Amino acid sequence: MPSNDDDFLTAGIPEPDAEATPSERMHARTFADIIDKTLTNKTPAAMSADDRALVEVATVIRASHGQMELAPAKQRSIVEDALRQAIGGAAANTSGAVTPIGKARSKRWVPWAMTAMTTTIAAAAVLVLWLRAPRTQYIDKPEVAKLPETWRSRPVDPLIGPIARESAGDASSRIDYIFADRLDGYRDRRLSGRARGGKP
Amino acid sequence: MKTWLMLISITVLGISACSTGDREPSPPPATKTAEPTDVIDEELMVSLAQAKNFHRKAKVYMSDGNLAAATASVRQILSLRFPKGAPEADDVRLDARALLAKLLVSQNQLEEAMRTVDEGLAQNTRESFFVANLYTVQGEIHEARAAVAEGEGEPGKAKVAEERRAAIASYDRSIQINEKLQKQLVDEK
Repeated sequence: MPSNDDDFLTAGIPEPDAEATPSERMHARTFADIIDKTLTNKTPAAMSADDRALVEVATVIRASHGQMELAPAKQRSIVEDALRQAIGGAAANTSGAVTPIGKARSKRWVPWAMTAMTTTIAAAAVLVLWLRAPRTQYIDKPEVAKLPETWRSRPVDPLIGPIARESAGDASSRIDYIFADRLDGYRDRRLSGRARGGKP
Repeated sequence: MKTWLMLISITVLGISACSTGDREPSPPPATKTAEPTDVIDEELMVSLAQAKNFHRKAKVYMSDGNLAAATASVRQILSLRFPKGAPEADDVRLDARALLAKLLVSQNQLEEAMRTVDEGLAQNTRESFFVANLYTVQGEIHEARAAVAEGEGEPGKAKVAEERRAAIASYDRSIQINEKLQKQLVDEK
C-alpha cells in the first residue's frame, strides 16, 4: 500500500504495529501544539484546512466529554445575566458587572410603579381638561356703554319745545337750532375722545 | 430608560393641559360699544347740514316769491338719508312736511297739502311736538278747505261745517299732544 506522508488524511491506513515515520511524528507534534493553543484560547490564525478540520473535530469530542468548563467568574456572569433578563432587566454583557439577584428582585416593583404613576397623571390631565372646559356664556342683552346725553342721537323735542301756531312754518329757524345743538355734542365727543387718547 | 422618557412626556403633557386650563377663555363682551345710531356721528351731521341748506335755499326762494322752487327745495329734505334709527330724522322730516304743506296751501294745492300731512302722520312712530305741529297745519288745511267750500255758496255749506269740525279736531289733537309732552318734560325735570 503506498504511503503519502504529506497527505495522511487521504493516504492509506498504516498497519497497527507499524512504526510512525519521522514525518508523521513531526506532524503529530505540530498538531499537538495547535490543540494546546486551542485549549488556552490561542488558536493560531493561520493553519491548513486539514488541521482546522481536525481542530474542530477535537473540540467537539472534548466538549462532548464535558471537559470544557468556563471560568467561575464567566459562569456567574452568564447566570446572573440570564436571571436579570428573566425578570425584565437589561443584560449586562457589555459591562461585565454582575448585579446580585437579591438587589435585582427588589427593583421588580419599579415598572409597575411607573405604569401606575403615568396612568394616574394621564387620567388627571384628562379630568382637568374635562372639568376646566370653557363654559359658554350667553348674554341676552349686552349693556350699552354709557355716553353723555349730549353725545347721543336723540329726539329734539326737549330742545324745541311746543311749536306755536304762528311758527308752524318756521322750520328753517328750528333746523338751525337743531344743527347747532348737535354740532356741539359732536365736537364735544370728538375732542373728548382725542383727549383720552381713544378713537372718537 | 424608555419608561422614564414616557413618564416625563406624560408629565409635561399633564402640566401643559393644566396650564392651558389656567388661561380662561376670553368671555364674550358684556359691554358693547355704542352703535353708530346711538351717537352723533359724521353721517348725522351731514344729513342735518343738508336739511339746513335746503331750508335756507327754500327761504331765499320764498323771499324771492318763487314758491314752486321753495316747495321743490323743501321736498328734497324728505328724501335725505339719515343714519338708521336716528330720532332727529323723524323730527326734521315732520317739520319739513309742515312747511311743505303750508307752501302748498299758499299755492292753493290743498289736496296735495293734505296728502303731505297725512303721509307724515301715517309714517310717524312716536308723539312729538313736530307731530303736534303737523296736526296744527292739518287744521289750517281744513280751514282753507272750509273757506273754499264757503265760496261755493249754499251747496258748500255742509262741506264748510264738516271741514271746520275736522279743523277743530286737528287742533284738539295738537293741543292734546303738546300738553302730554309738556307734562312729561316737567316730570322728567
